[in-house]
Amino acid sequence: MIALPATVRAWLRRIGGNSREAEMDPKEVEELRTDFQFRYHHFKLLLNANNKALEEMAEIEEALRGTRPFGMTFVRSRCTEVSTSVFQMIKHLNQLAPDRYAGLGERFKAIQRDLWAQVNPLSPRSDAPLVLALDRITADDLPLVGSKTAQIGEIRNRIGLPTPDGFAVTVAGHERFLAHRELRTEIHRRIQATDTTSIDRLHSLSADLQQLVIRAPVPADLEAAIVDQYHRLEARRGSGVRVALRSSALGEDQADTSFAGLFRSELNVSAEHLLTAYKEVVASQYGLQAVSYRLSRGIREEDAAMSVGVMTMVDAVAGGVVYSMDPVQGDRNTLEIHSVWGLPKPVVDGNAACDRFVISRTQPLRIVERTVAVKTQKYLCYPEEGVCRLDTVGAEAEQPSLTDEQALRLAEIAMGLEVHYRKPVDIEWGITTDGSVIVLQCRPLQQAVSPGQDQDPDRAAPILGAILMAGGITVSPGAAAGPVYLARKDADALAFPEGAVLVVSQPAPRWATLVPRAAAIVAEQGSTAGHLASVAREFRIPALFALPQALEGLPAGAMVTVHADARRIYQGRLGELVKEQANPLTMPTASPVYRTLQEAGRLITPLNLLDPDAPEFRPDHCRTLHDITRFCHEQAVHEMFQFGNRHRFPQRASKQLVCQVPMQFWVINLDDGFHEEVNEAKVHLKNIASIPMLALWQGMIAVPWAGPPPVDTRGFMSVLMEATVNPGLDPASGSPYTVRNYFLVSRHFCSLQSRFGFHFCSVEALVSERTPENYVSFQFKGGAADAMRRRLRARLVAELLEEVDFRTEVKEDATFARIEGQPQAVMESRLRTLGYLIIHTRQLDMVMANGASTARYRNKIRQDLQQLEH
Amino acid sequence: MNGFNVLLVDDELEFLDTLIKRMKKRGLQVAGVNRGEDALAWLDREPVDVVVLDVKMPGLDGIETLREIKNRRPLVEVIMLTGHANMEVAVQGMELGAFDYLMKPMDIDELIYKLQDANRKKSLQEQRIKRKQEELGTRR
Repeated sequence: MIALPATVRAWLRRIGGNSREAEMDPKEVEELRTDFQFRYHHFKLLLNANNKALEEMAEIEEALRGTRPFGMTFVRSRCTEVSTSVFQMIKHLNQLAPDRYAGLGERFKAIQRDLWAQVNPLSPRSDAPLVLALDRITADDLPLVGSKTAQIGEIRNRIGLPTPDGFAVTVAGHERFLAHRELRTEIHRRIQATDTTSIDRLHSLSADLQQLVIRAPVPADLEAAIVDQYHRLEARRGSGVRVALRSSALGEDQADTSFAGLFRSELNVSAEHLLTAYKEVVASQYGLQAVSYRLSRGIREEDAAMSVGVMTMVDAVAGGVVYSMDPVQGDRNTLEIHSVWGLPKPVVDGNAACDRFVISRTQPLRIVERTVAVKTQKYLCYPEEGVCRLDTVGAEAEQPSLTDEQALRLAEIAMGLEVHYRKPVDIEWGITTDGSVIVLQCRPLQQAVSPGQDQDPDRAAPILGAILMAGGITVSPGAAAGPVYLARKDADALAFPEGAVLVVSQPAPRWATLVPRAAAIVAEQGSTAGHLASVAREFRIPALFALPQALEGLPAGAMVTVHADARRIYQGRLGELVKEQANPLTMPTASPVYRTLQEAGRLITPLNLLDPDAPEFRPDHCRTLHDITRFCHEQAVHEMFQFGNRHRFPQRASKQLVCQVPMQFWVINLDDGFHEEVNEAKVHLKNIASIPMLALWQGMIAVPWAGPPPVDTRGFMSVLMEATVNPGLDPASGSPYTVRNYFLVSRHFCSLQSRFGFHFCSVEALVSERTPENYVSFQFKGGAADAMRRRLRARLVAELLEEVDFRTEVKEDATFARIEGQPQAVMESRLRTLGYLIIHTRQLDMVMANGASTARYRNKIRQDLQQLEH
Repeated sequence: MNGFNVLLVDDELEFLDTLIKRMKKRGLQVAGVNRGEDALAWLDREPVDVVVLDVKMPGLDGIETLREIKNRRPLVEVIMLTGHANMEVAVQGMELGAFDYLMKPMDIDELIYKLQDANRKKSLQEQRIKRKQEELGTRR
């Protein structure tokens, strides 16, 4: 990942010590100076682009570790940025050496084409119908009408069970709406402009986008199609028939992504408000929960196509859900019905007491458990429009909302659908005025992943600590610890800290957005039914519901461990319990967004061009953008070295540095690296104006070198052995190790290529008041001892650099390190550290295998480094 | 260091106003117009060193405006600015000679560095051309 100024090879030797004193025409000198300035400026811009490209690649690699959610906007922005940076490098290299690297542009174009194919949104389906009558819909139409409507069509037309009548506004219709007046473009623009990691920014983004959608006009052809379908529905079901509008998004209700309750439904809508209701359902796609859900599940915005089902409103006498299997314990022998008076809405929202029937699935079906709740309220349709909540009157509240006969009929339907779909199902249903069952919705059942506990876990599990609260219903198993966060009102969601235990009164869908960031969820009310419970199970977040007085009983901020399986909340963090259950949330690596970035990343981040001396180090071997980056950087440094020599310009030829150390250094001034121009063969330290070079130099000379460390016999033998097998260590052989030590400098730039004994090292730094452009990169390699000792030394150097915030990488005996974006003072300090390490870790490889002496040297180095900064 | 002329072109009025204010605060000489056509007209009348150009505008869009600017005033540097990351447009812009392609929202410091770099590129280029002309002049 870290590209570094490479070894300066044979060509370095050619230009070494070029100190001819040629008499030059002042005009010619001026001309050359301008040329140098021009070239240096392009070189510097190339370095900036290189730095940016590497940072962007690091961001892509970080994202691919899957620890944070990201959306398609992130993928597209990074790919665009990295392409821009790499293309700039090619342009600047062409300025430094016109026409010399012609093949690069071609390679870039080819990679670019492939990259574009990965991240380019699919073009919308053009010939699909905008609307489709329910009588013509089956499960085969899922890509056009979304899962929910497709299943209702399947149940109605293939299975023959009663469902509402209606039609679908298809994903093509949705597409048409978003294309009208570039609504989609505007939506993407606003998403790009938002920092989606900030929950309050996300909050206002969500509000803006919903407003935007609701205010957008419906294109005339779509409006005509919807109205026409409604008239046909009226012809079948009576004039002025009221309808319910439900989201039916693509990807919704699939086994691994439920979207449970994240979208809006509009109930009991009249003809007059049909279009507004349609837009409101579409807008709910940008609700806070939905946006953060897509982000955390890696669903691409453009794949979140939304069809809307428009169905006749069923004014249910009773309603609820049926799970064809126990959703928490995964008991295959029973199924569960949750039921209330009136519309099923409160069951689905998870915020009301409901009757619960447990039915044995073995024939003949029988009710094994019947819990009748006190149902104080119910939802009914207003005669005109909309729904209302009413208090139940008289005995109704305490009567079961279902007859046993109806419950068994529901059980039969559920088992029938389970057979048809070959998997457990979750059905929303209503009882019509004539007492018959009507299926409103059907989807795969979201089950807890690891049931595995016995039926009565609270008695079985050993008590592991001080219990704060116990009881309730396990709606999602597991154990997790975190500080208690009491959320009472909507605004509390904004301040929810990552990793806290969310404690609420009602498990309402509005809390769903916090689920991915919560350690566990506790609710005073609710049951295994309801959206929040589904979402908790999907995200594998332990959740304990129906625990009265949780808001009073759990002190805000206190560390607790929620053991959902055992239905207990312990004081403090029970490390063992939590570790056992650890299940860190990560970006699902199979998600479309993740896969897109992964595919794009393959064209961007791998580095194949490793060795600049290899014959493959050529433009036509660049397979990724990283290869091009590496190649451009290498050649740019090469061109800068060569230029002064090629033009016989003494001021820009290499000068020997006059210094009080027993080593020789040469300096090449690229632009403004000297205070005064130097015509002679030598330059004095006081004439050096390069900020990074001076910082590096300070570190190099700060502590006098103590001489080679005392070597144990084995270490010395290792050096001898290595010297006989490694021809690179023979000073006469002309290998890369025999080049001189060069500083390439300008006021804000410094590149050091050097060998110290058997060690090769390079440092490159750009340091100025422009903080975001600052970087230091470093490579340290080689050594005289055997491979094992050299590797240990490489690791020691990396460790010491990590302590001062470098990102490091150790490959064999080479250490790579990089730091960027720090203010000038910090960068200078890091350069002093590097300077020190370059000098004082050489030959440490000889003592590396000896643990005690390694520790001693490490301490000595740490002490010195501390002194360096005081 | 900021003694050069910048022209901002963006149809988003609020964004344009804010940016102009912030840049003036940093001592930049900056003017703004809302349309590509107006930018071209401005270039005919006023001295401009660097143009910051929104990609997506009604009328003459960013790419067309860039093409026309480079056609008429090849030395003027152009930085593209976009609210909608698009790799193809980015590369197309750079091929047409744009100095850089930045994405909104961008850091104001970063934008100013880009402006300074773009202006330096322009003035170095001008010096070289001037010298070449002198050279031709002395030979004549």
